[in-house]
Amino acid sequence: MSSTSSSSSWRPAVAAEVILSSKGSALRSETRGMVEEKEKQSSGLRRRWLVDVAQWRPSPEQFQASATLLPPHDRPAIARFVREDDRKRALVSRLLQYSLIHHALGIPLHQIRINRTLEGKPYLQNKNASFPSFNFNTSHQGDYVGIASEPLCLVGLDIVCISNPQRETALEFISSFTSYLTDHEWNCIVSAGTPDEMLNEFCRYWCLKEAFVKAIGAGVGFGLQRLEFHHVNWTNISLCIDGEEARKWRFWLFKLDDMHLASIAKGHCEDAIDSFKRTFPDVVVQEEELHTAVEIPEEAFTFWSVEQLLQLHD
Amino acid sequence: MAAIAGSATASFARPVKAVNVSPVSFAGLRKDNVSFRLQPVPQRFTVVCAAKKETVDRVCDIVKKQLVLPEGTEVSGASKFTDLGADSLDTVEIVMGLEEAFKITVEESSAQSIATVEDAAELIDNLVSAK
Repeated sequence: MSSTSSSSSWRPAVAAEVILSSKGSALRSETRGMVEEKEKQSSGLRRRWLVDVAQWRPSPEQFQASATLLPPHDRPAIARFVREDDRKRALVSRLLQYSLIHHALGIPLHQIRINRTLEGKPYLQNKNASFPSFNFNTSHQGDYVGIASEPLCLVGLDIVCISNPQRETALEFISSFTSYLTDHEWNCIVSAGTPDEMLNEFCRYWCLKEAFVKAIGAGVGFGLQRLEFHHVNWTNISLCIDGEEARKWRFWLFKLDDMHLASIAKGHCEDAIDSFKRTFPDVVVQEEELHTAVEIPEEAFTFWSVEQLLQLHD
Repeated sequence: MAAIAGSATASFARPVKAVNVSPVSFAGLRKDNVSFRLQPVPQRFTVVCAAKKETVDRVCDIVKKQLVLPEGTEVSGASKFTDLGADSLDTVEIVMGLEEAFKITVEESSAQSIATVEDAAELIDNLVSAK
C-alpha cells in the first residue's frame, strides 16, 4: 500500500528532550525489549490519515458500490445528506474509520463495531486488552476528510476550509462568533492585519477549539469561550480552560493547502467527558506513558486516495 | 449584533451584543456531521401546536441562504439541519439570522433541542408570541 506524505508548512517547536527524559524512568520496571515492543505496537496505533475527496468523482453507480462496502446501518446515515459533497464526505469518513481500525488493530472489517456516545462521539466498541484507551477522531470540511488515532492519550482532529464569507465582510462574519472567543483571542484576530489575515486567524482559533472539544467527546455546547489558546507564531500552542493552564494538553496546527487548516489536540484521558470516559473500560495508563504520548511531536499526515481505501475493503 | 460601521480609524472595538446570548448549538449539528447532541433530547409531554406555515417558510429561506443550497433543493419543516450540510459555523450564523429576522433571543437550552426546520419554527413562534 503506497501512500504519500504531505508536508505541513509549520513544524511545532516541541522539545525532543522532553520525550527522552520520560523514557528513562519508564525503563525502571520493564525490560528494554518489552518497552520497545510496546512502543512499536503503540506507534502502529498512532495514525494521521487524509483524503482529498475533491479528487474522487464517482458515478452514482460507483458511489453506491462504495457505500455497500460499509455495514448496512451506515448507508441510510450517508443517504440522508442532501448535498452530494456531504454524502461523499460522510462515506469517506466512515471508510477511513473502518480502514484505520482494520489496519492498526488487525480486526476483520466485518467484525468492527463502531458506536457513538449520546453526544455523537464515535468510539470502537471492540475491546482491546493491550490498548484499552485506543481512540480516534474524524473531521471533514471542504476538500479533505481526515482521521487521527491514538493508543494512549485522547486525540482530536479538526479540518477547516477557509472560505470568504458570501454576503458579508470578513469582519462582520467573525463578529458573529465573538461569544465563542476570549478577549485575548479577539484582540489577536483583529490585529492580524488585512481582512483575509483576520479570517485566517479566526479560523485557526476555531479549528483548535473544535479539536479540543472533539477530543474530549463534547460538542460546541462545551462553551468554546472557556478555552483560550496561546502560541508563539502558531507553535508551542497551549490551552487555558477557565483561566487555568491545561498542562496535560498539546496542540498542533497544520496548513494542508492555501484554503485548508487542520488541528490536532492530544491530552489526558481523565479530561474526557463522562459519556465518553465510560467507553474506556478500567483504563490504567501510567502518567509517564501518557505524558510521553502527548508530547510526541506531530508528523506529517499520510495521504490516501479513495481508490486505495476501497481496495483495502475488498 | 452591533453594526460594524466602516471606520477610518484602525480601532476595532469588540462588538457587544445588546443581549447576552450564551453559546447555542442545534442538536445534531456538527461540522463532521456526527450527531453531537449536548444532552438527551427531552421528551416533550406538553402539546405544542405545529409551527405556522409562514414561519416555517421563512426559516427555510434563511437556512437556504445560509447554506447556499442549490436551486431546487427541497427544504421543508422535516429537514434536519445536519442533513442539509450545516456545520458548526453555519449553526451559529443560522441562529443569528433567525434572531435578527424575528427579533428574538434564543436561549442555549432551547436551541439544544432543535434538530429540524420545524423545531426552529416552533421555537420562534413561541418566542415571538411571548414577547
